[in-house]
Amino acid sequence: MRSRIYTIISGHFKSWYRSKSNIFWTIAFPLLLIVLFGAIFGSGSTKFDLYVQNKDLVQATPTPLSQGYVSALNNTGAFDLHMVPAEQTDPVNYVKSDAQPHNRGQRLLVVPVGFASELFATKKANISLYIDQSDQASQSLKGIIFAATNSYATHLPPPLSPSQPPDISVQQVGLVTRNIRYIDFFIPGVIGMTLLTTGVFGAVNTNGRYRELKIIKKLATTPLSKIEWILGMVGYQMILATISLVVILFFGYAIFGVTATIDIYVVGLVVAASLLFPGIGMVLANFVKEAESADAAANAITFPMMFLAGTFWPRESLPYIMKIIANFMPLTYVNDGLRDALIYAEPAQALANTLIALGLAGFFILLGSLLMNWKEE
Amino acid sequence: MSDNPPASLPGQSDRVVQVDKLSKKYGDNIAVNDISFNLTKGEVFAFLGPNGAGKTTTVEILECLRNPTGGQAWVLGYDVSKRSDQAEIRKRIGVLPQDFNAIDRLTVRENINYFGAMFKHQLDADKLIELVDLKDKRDEQFKKLSGGLKQRVGLAVSLVNDPDVVFLDEPTTGLDPRARRDVWGVIERLKSQGKTVFLTTHYMDEAEYLADIVSIIDHGQIIASGTPDQLIDNHGGKKTLIIRDAGEEGLKQLPPGLPKADLRNAGDIAIPLHNGELTNILMSLGQTPLRDKEIEVRRPTLDDVFLNLTGRRVSEEGN
Repeated sequence: MRSRIYTIISGHFKSWYRSKSNIFWTIAFPLLLIVLFGAIFGSGSTKFDLYVQNKDLVQATPTPLSQGYVSALNNTGAFDLHMVPAEQTDPVNYVKSDAQPHNRGQRLLVVPVGFASELFATKKANISLYIDQSDQASQSLKGIIFAATNSYATHLPPPLSPSQPPDISVQQVGLVTRNIRYIDFFIPGVIGMTLLTTGVFGAVNTNGRYRELKIIKKLATTPLSKIEWILGMVGYQMILATISLVVILFFGYAIFGVTATIDIYVVGLVVAASLLFPGIGMVLANFVKEAESADAAANAITFPMMFLAGTFWPRESLPYIMKIIANFMPLTYVNDGLRDALIYAEPAQALANTLIALGLAGFFILLGSLLMNWKEE
Repeated sequence: MSDNPPASLPGQSDRVVQVDKLSKKYGDNIAVNDISFNLTKGEVFAFLGPNGAGKTTTVEILECLRNPTGGQAWVLGYDVSKRSDQAEIRKRIGVLPQDFNAIDRLTVRENINYFGAMFKHQLDADKLIELVDLKDKRDEQFKKLSGGLKQRVGLAVSLVNDPDVVFLDEPTTGLDPRARRDVWGVIERLKSQGKTVFLTTHYMDEAEYLADIVSIIDHGQIIASGTPDQLIDNHGGKKTLIIRDAGEEGLKQLPPGLPKADLRNAGDIAIPLHNGELTNILMSLGQTPLRDKEIEVRRPTLDDVFLNLTGRRVSEEGN
């Protein structure tokens, strides 16, 4: 049995590396995307999520000055403000746990205790902005906050302004422990995208084309079992996934200095992706019998998933309904898990995403296996 | 299902294939209708018929790819309907599916080894390459081969486990005449090695040339079986005297008293021959301008057998 599975893996692998287009789509295309997105990196134009904690209270009510500042931010029209309770002692973790299920950006602005009294006393105040540098919109967002803060300061009523506007400074604090850039955010997404496309298209092409060429029919007349065939395909996908991971991470490190942590969760996610995406491909190949139509169906599945599951940009910039749809996309959990494990060093979230991805993998590979016709009927 | 037991225990008989009242239905469509036949060790058996006659369905039942809806069949004494027997059958048969292609980017040798690895024991790839005469192409990728060479790779792949019986489903369909002859050469080599071959084809000349036994199937039913000679003798009709390229004019020049002549394609005149008539007809033709034409005596073929049995001919495409 081992020799048969090895033969299937080796046959797939030889077919893969002897095809220039396979090499392009698996290796060169993701690298090209990294270079392009890394170089171009445009800014977004939608409303940004922003968590605000106003700790400047008098008798449990925000002071007029602090409330005015929050209103000034709101009036820019650039933000969807989400208030963090003033009594929350660990607002950063509050934001992290609240933002993820809602697909919101992890950004927090804290108006400190004594904001108003400091302004009156010293004409100075500090606002803290916790922001993730991987956030595609971070530059635009900071610009708007700085502009809104200056505008607020110059429009304060006398005696605070306008003769000598107070100095309100916005101090930037990294929301995550490491300094994350867009390219750090992007590279795990490209790995996820590559696992998706090689897995789904690999299974669709292998099962569709091999069926058309009667190779599967021929194999079904030998002692090879369906489960051995599937294990061979999954083994091959694991090798491809490992190659993609290593090449992309190496490239990211060499060109952009991206450093990643490879741990047990990454291994788990590679295993999950090697089962999950071929499983989806097998389900597709079962419903769409002709190789060409199956290819089109694979495109129809992979492209929306690629764009909605946070491969190229954070999901929070998506419209609300799209955010909901993204929660049902398996790639979402692979992308998030890879980011948590490789870049953010968030083991708890990596574990949660790995477990979800493994669960989905089990479901899809089982469904694909059950649906796959080994005999002709 | 029939309760008839196999004629012998697995592996202990010369009966390689036994088919008893086999049927296969797809909804209301009857693909195979109550057919019975046997295949003996060392024979080349041709299952002959047009497209859609039920050949591939039958052969795929014998290959354990489809389940019959009626009757029974045994391959090498194993019941094709029993799961436990199917595993034994798969170890012992060689299969070349219709329209089979090997893996594009593997070489000839790699393909043979790929499919060989599916079996516990496999024949040496180089020997098989020699058998199908592909020594010069052994390291060529499959996709770069011509249609005829690809089919020879398919034949080598079907023999990789040294099978007791080889099922070749339409092995020459779509090939040019020369490539077909090359494939015939390989099948003849198998025959000379004593291999049992189950061949499906819609080419009458192929069945006539290669087969020891021919069963003709049409609309899911076997309509005649026997050696090619027996089929021709029993159903082929009479020999025909052909006068080449004589045309309408030639018909008018025929001497009186001859059997009724037909004008065929390309202007050939065909005169059915009854026993002992040849000399008389030739002598009377010698008195006419037709004596300068090319004249031949044509023996009936399986084409004529099929025409006589069904009232129609099978086209080159198998329809």
